[in-house]
Amino acid sequence: MNLEIVKMAFESLTAKKTRTFLSMLGIIIGVATVIAVFAVGKGAQDSVSSQFSNLSANSIIVMPNRGRSFTSSSKLTTADAAKLIAAEHIASSAGAIQGNSSVSYGSVSKNYSVVGADQNFVSISNLVVQSGRGIEEDDISSKSAVALVGSTVVADLFVGGESPIGNSITINGKKLEVVGVLKKLGSRVGMISIDESVIIPSSTAEKSVLGDRGQVIIMTTVDNVSNTNAATTSITAILRAEHKLKVSQEDDFRIMDAGSMISAAQESAQTLTALLTAIAAITLLVSGIGIMNVMFVTVAERTKEIGIAKAIGGKRADILSQFLLESIILSMAGGIIGMIIGQGAIPIITYFNLISMTSSATGPILGFTFSVLVGVFFGFYPAYKASRLDPVDALRSE
Amino acid sequence: MNNFAIRMEDVYKSYYLSNGEEIPVLKGINLEIKKGEFVAIMGESGGGKTTLLNVIGCLHPLSAGKYFLDDEDIGEVRDDFTLAYIRNKKMGFIFQQFNLFARFSALKNVILPAIYAKTPALEREEKARTLLESVGMEERVNHKPTELSGGQQQRVAICRALINNPEIILADEPTGALDSKSGIEVMDIFTKFKNQGKTVIMVTHTAEVAKYADRIIYLRDGQVLDNNYKLKSTY
Repeated sequence: MNLEIVKMAFESLTAKKTRTFLSMLGIIIGVATVIAVFAVGKGAQDSVSSQFSNLSANSIIVMPNRGRSFTSSSKLTTADAAKLIAAEHIASSAGAIQGNSSVSYGSVSKNYSVVGADQNFVSISNLVVQSGRGIEEDDISSKSAVALVGSTVVADLFVGGESPIGNSITINGKKLEVVGVLKKLGSRVGMISIDESVIIPSSTAEKSVLGDRGQVIIMTTVDNVSNTNAATTSITAILRAEHKLKVSQEDDFRIMDAGSMISAAQESAQTLTALLTAIAAITLLVSGIGIMNVMFVTVAERTKEIGIAKAIGGKRADILSQFLLESIILSMAGGIIGMIIGQGAIPIITYFNLISMTSSATGPILGFTFSVLVGVFFGFYPAYKASRLDPVDALRSE
Repeated sequence: MNNFAIRMEDVYKSYYLSNGEEIPVLKGINLEIKKGEFVAIMGESGGGKTTLLNVIGCLHPLSAGKYFLDDEDIGEVRDDFTLAYIRNKKMGFIFQQFNLFARFSALKNVILPAIYAKTPALEREEKARTLLESVGMEERVNHKPTELSGGQQQRVAICRALINNPEIILADEPTGALDSKSGIEVMDIFTKFKNQGKTVIMVTHTAEVAKYADRIIYLRDGQVLDNNYKLKSTY
């Protein structure tokens, strides 16, 4: 490539700055959109992953139907968890009840999620006890006044680095001793934000802390993901029998398997990405047509120049490469500005918490590549037409 | 091996209108131009002077006949690379309206053919500056065409035609847009070319300009009426 031809292409573009900028605008918007789209898509996928990160694909969650309290119309209780061990392909099962309650330590008091769990809940939910111990079988049978606290609870209540273990917190007027601290999770287990939770024995929760205000959650695991459907059928049969439901009655519980929930959520995140990508692609296409239009105008305006260039020895290839370069430079410059704007917008949007966005390398790479391709694709035809102009006709034009 | 720079045998050139109608312009041109000869092409308006110059300059393919450049038949050549090479290296064009690039300086305009010839940057710039100096334009190298007079623009165009040191200079009404003083200056430069052994082929309708040539070829209705036309003694 003759470097001077590259310089000439630059000179032609800088000679008409306003037109050059307006031609680039479409590409700038297109590339910035592509980057934003991928950041939104990645953000949505990350949010799905974070929401379900503590659920294995082989988890099955059972909750009361339509979110009604277990005392009103659903007969689902934490005791059902033990019965589900008998269901086909169920490897483990844990019951919990969850409600919101005021938790206080010393003079500090705040509302947190209180989870009444059995001894299996911590392991089934893939939670890690950072210090102290978890809920044990004895705690359930003896309705012990003990608690495990999440990281946010520790930070909120135990100010000044005081160790919570051995201290007592008060929930609904009942004093419970903190026996363990959970490792910071940063995500949810099902609907529960574990970092902002206090986990106590289920029997204690039912008897004296949550009473009938709690919502039952049973978490089970399937021996193999491929057996999820069979396990779901078996759970349904056992619970319908336990709850003595007639054939005409609908289930008073709902079953959600983690695999389906994760794939549904990921699918919707992917659909969102695909939809936004289509919009970005249309923007780039339209901007490409804009560039083609501008290049045709440029060729028409410079027809005489093309004639002169040919008369003094310019080859078709020289003319083609000069006009093609102009189009590529135009779209590349637009692509770079679009990248800067797109990437720059992500931290600003994230800072103001407008939408969940995660910066990804795919967005800028794809955006920039597309911008160059748009330049080549839409610039080629006008450049080709210019290179094929008859020199004498071109020289005659004014 | 003979001494002809250009030789044409029975050359025809026709244009075609969009409805397919054929407009014959050159109708059997036969001519010979020796190396180092200064030839003026004259003739009536519409007689085919400019078309002949464009065919000689490989800007137009001929419709029929033979065209020898340096004894090589190039009448059949249609390959862009070869034609561009001939226009770039073998010939230098000078136009009535100068045809300079308005956005480039005088220096850059002169350099352009050398860029297409891939001459190294330093060499082409030095050459361009020397040429501009030789026509008294050393003070105007960075001026754009709009900042130059017609005569100065034509001198820049002449330098551009010479940058690749071609053997043949083709000029289409080179003084047509100039005042008489500038016209004389340009013709003096052409005479200098001839004295340097270059072949000069110039289209003109002005006898005052044609008198500088060694020989005048007179065209009428697409044919050579006289291969050695004599001007009336008043000129």
